[in-house]
Amino acid sequence: MTQVQDEWSITAELARLELDENEALILAREAERMRELFLTMSRADVEKLETTAHALEMNNRIRPDSVVSFNNVESLIEASPEQEDNFFLIPNVL
Amino acid sequence: MPQIPTNWSGIFTDSERKQSYLRRVRELDKNIGSFLSFNLDLTGSETTEKGFLGGLPIAVKDNIAVSDQPLTCGSRILENLVSPYTATAVQRLEDAGAVVVGKTNLDEFGMGSSNENSALGTTVNPWDYNRVPGGSSGGSAAAVAAGLVPLALGSDTGGSVRQPANFCGVYGLKPTYGSVSRFGLTAYASSLEVIGTLTRDIDLMETAFEVMSGIDEYDQSSVGSEVSGVPDSDASRVVMLSVDNNMLDNPVARAYKETGEALRAEGYSVSEISLPTLDLVVPAYYTIATAEASANLARFNGIRYGYAPDFSENPSDLMKKARHEGFGREVKLRILLGTYVLRSGFQDQYYGRAQKIRTLIKNELASVFSTADLLLMPVFPTQAFSKGDSEMDDYKQRIADVFTCLANLSGLPALSLPVGVENGLPTGVQFMAPSFGEKRLFKVARNLQDRFPLQIPPNYLDIGGLV
Amino acid sequence: MKVHDKYDVFIGLEIHIHLNTESKMFCSCKANYGDESNMNVCPVCLGYPGTLPRLNEKAMELGYLVAKSLGCKIAEKTSFARKNYFYPDMPKNYQISQFEEPVGVEGLVEAEFGISESRKIRIHDVHLEEDAGKMIHAGDITLLDYNRAGYPLLEIVTEPDLRSGEETESFLRDFQRLVRYLGVSDANMDEGSMKCDANVSLNHPGKGLGIKVELKNMNSPRFVRLALNHEIARHAGILDAGGSLVQETRLWNENRDITEIMRRKEAADDYRYFPEPDMPSFVPDNDFLARVEAGLVELPLDKKRRLQTEYSLTPEQAEFIHDDAATAVFFEESVKAGADAQNAASWLSSDIQKLLNRSSLSLDASPLDARRFSTLLGLIKEGQISGKIAKKVLEKIFSDNLDPQDIVDKEGWLQISNPEELATIIKKVMMENPDVVSAVKAGDMRQKGFLIGQVMRNSDGKAAPELSGSILDKLLGTNA
Repeated sequence: MTQVQDEWSITAELARLELDENEALILAREAERMRELFLTMSRADVEKLETTAHALEMNNRIRPDSVVSFNNVESLIEASPEQEDNFFLIPNVL
Repeated sequence: MPQIPTNWSGIFTDSERKQSYLRRVRELDKNIGSFLSFNLDLTGSETTEKGFLGGLPIAVKDNIAVSDQPLTCGSRILENLVSPYTATAVQRLEDAGAVVVGKTNLDEFGMGSSNENSALGTTVNPWDYNRVPGGSSGGSAAAVAAGLVPLALGSDTGGSVRQPANFCGVYGLKPTYGSVSRFGLTAYASSLEVIGTLTRDIDLMETAFEVMSGIDEYDQSSVGSEVSGVPDSDASRVVMLSVDNNMLDNPVARAYKETGEALRAEGYSVSEISLPTLDLVVPAYYTIATAEASANLARFNGIRYGYAPDFSENPSDLMKKARHEGFGREVKLRILLGTYVLRSGFQDQYYGRAQKIRTLIKNELASVFSTADLLLMPVFPTQAFSKGDSEMDDYKQRIADVFTCLANLSGLPALSLPVGVENGLPTGVQFMAPSFGEKRLFKVARNLQDRFPLQIPPNYLDIGGLV
Repeated sequence: MKVHDKYDVFIGLEIHIHLNTESKMFCSCKANYGDESNMNVCPVCLGYPGTLPRLNEKAMELGYLVAKSLGCKIAEKTSFARKNYFYPDMPKNYQISQFEEPVGVEGLVEAEFGISESRKIRIHDVHLEEDAGKMIHAGDITLLDYNRAGYPLLEIVTEPDLRSGEETESFLRDFQRLVRYLGVSDANMDEGSMKCDANVSLNHPGKGLGIKVELKNMNSPRFVRLALNHEIARHAGILDAGGSLVQETRLWNENRDITEIMRRKEAADDYRYFPEPDMPSFVPDNDFLARVEAGLVELPLDKKRRLQTEYSLTPEQAEFIHDDAATAVFFEESVKAGADAQNAASWLSSDIQKLLNRSSLSLDASPLDARRFSTLLGLIKEGQISGKIAKKVLEKIFSDNLDPQDIVDKEGWLQISNPEELATIIKKVMMENPDVVSAVKAGDMRQKGFLIGQVMRNSDGKAAPELSGSILDKLLGTNA
């Protein structure tokens, strides 16, 4: 695997994306193309600028500390692919 | 008192009319594929008459939550998901009397500009069944264009309401960021997107916006309206983005030029400007959007809801299989890109830089709007392209988002507006305004209505003929 | 040669505490993970598509309160960030935490290690975040309970200023005490309302920080001490042999008293922090800051010292009294109501503590209040009851919830201090025990105790002990 593909494999692992070999090749290629597009951003002179994390901001949106229960908790558990006795189930971690 | 279009009023208050309408919608949609699902609660004979939207049928993009209706987001990974709650924007419309007829098709998780990235269905452009309706709110655009519903909700992250509206010859509004609650909108790019509307009726669009907008306690990023700059009634200075001749297809270029002329005839002043930051818009947009998407889509891992593989060896295997089998290729690509640009060692160079470019763009637009009231731009370089068009591959489609991404990066409102029909396909333009300048957008649309009357595609569903 | 003579030791802590709020950090579900599994959940804390976080006001207030109490610079603007990693107990597979603008930074807190050895420990930062769900492993499967997902957490990160397992254990207990004083958390490591991870490194003197190892899975301050001391010895052994350490994460195995390398390479995760787009920043206004100020308390260490100077308590007494905020308040109120400080301290640490343990009550919840307590001590001082009777009165206060004076009256336990009355009883005892009397008169003083005991028996314990003693002496012709 080339170094470029290595980077994308590491990235895929971080994103919990398991790609088969063919897919990995195609995606790495497409991703590289986009990455090169991203590199054109280096032309911009942004040294002195702050980042914009929020397009428009209203500070201090806050919620009073009181309990409001969801009205249909059962449906949330039933929506799970695997459940038993009010637990969500997955294969053992260990 | 806001009015609903007269031919739509009472559609759900008369049982026979309701049945007739629902039947016709399903029939017609067989050819178009706007809807992924229909609201089965409506198949009974009860009728609804409440609120001043008195039973107005609406379609909702399938990435917006409606209680007890599917919320597939056009993806296999959520194919079986039924939403346990309703988005605030939809709730407000329902409280005013609107009735959700069904959920519309979309590019998977809102990622795409053609609607071809849906894993669950195909939608065609009502103007030409061999062409795409645009994306990602393609289903909503097609449904409105074909007359199936008078109003549809979509989501606009990088143009996903305006571009399909443009391809389908209807109005598409991307409101000011935060003016409409995002609670219930499946997040793709949280800081860029907003729920928008598609319709053929500007008055209805204005009514819907007034009903939906306003601070929502369930969305702490929602923002209240503020007065900004020139009162909308006096908004008359238009600046028109100067675009290279070879950037736009001829019909699009012609419609663009025509709009400039029409504005002058209507008493607007029109001057040309260029935006030096335009080159940076697409890379900055995709850097930020994919970064946020990589985090927003991490929750889909086959555990609490949605698709899970039949067998997996351990939780890590479970998550990977669910995502591998559940996500389409474009989604995987954007997650991959987004994860990359946030990675330690790369983040400053990509994500950090993109957020600074965002500031640059905002500053530039603030400067533009200090001496102008409206910014006129194209929506997309081409008219609706053909399905599977190799000339318009995924990469080219992304580059073409340049005109629409600007509004998302800056948070400003924009309206795409049909101008005419050429070669049997719609052409249109878009206007951008300062924050909370929606009223002046509606106003310019009204002012141009006579010059650019909306046209209808073949097989348009005439509600009047259903009585 | 001892480790600390040969090497510099650097220990830093990452402490997490559950905040005492009614609802979760970002949604209105009940914050109580003891309930039946998956009962306190909703689409938000289960990470359903389209849901958004909503910041809990109380959690923010408690965060600022702790930050201020730890001497931090508190943020004029604080904001949230996403910490991205995948794990089954994570509903969104990112945690909403804080990164660039936490609630407090650069704090300094004084800690006492042993009698009169104190040092200032630097606090790197204090920040808010949400907890994940709980996993229960059962054979082939793992069960997931998301009641705890979204619970408000406060993380306190110290600089590597601690030097040994003992110091660290002491610091942790001090920290628990402070946080309980403030009422922000129960901070129980065995119940899970407090967790502590540590990082430790050794290096040759003057060379700065060494290669650090992270330690997890220590479920009590004592295990923190054991794990750190074990790890320090392990590092020293490796360095002694000329080897070098590897940066890694290790788990404390409390059954085998060793640290073991963690099986999964979770530590290799790149968290890709970026600002949380769904939450605007928070800028505390004057009202908010006033509420935070109002929550500040006298720091435990300050109280401990003041108890010694103001009330002349011994260090041990002050240690006991100040350990629990309610006890300290009770003590001071009792003294204000007239009790003698020494007596009060003594009773609190012995008989009262025993009764509290037996009844499983806290001081606040018990029938003993400061007024009754100081009255009781006053009765002893005035000679109205003996110390022994007082213990019985105390028991009755607990069992019958009555005032001490009423109990004494009801039971007829008033001390007998009338010399004639006492003489009568003593003479009777002397007559009944002629051999003992002879022995005492002959010089066997030990037997006097037996006689006093009989006087007590014959008076149902009500004979005033000292007076009885001196009257007995007079009648025996002996001197006390």
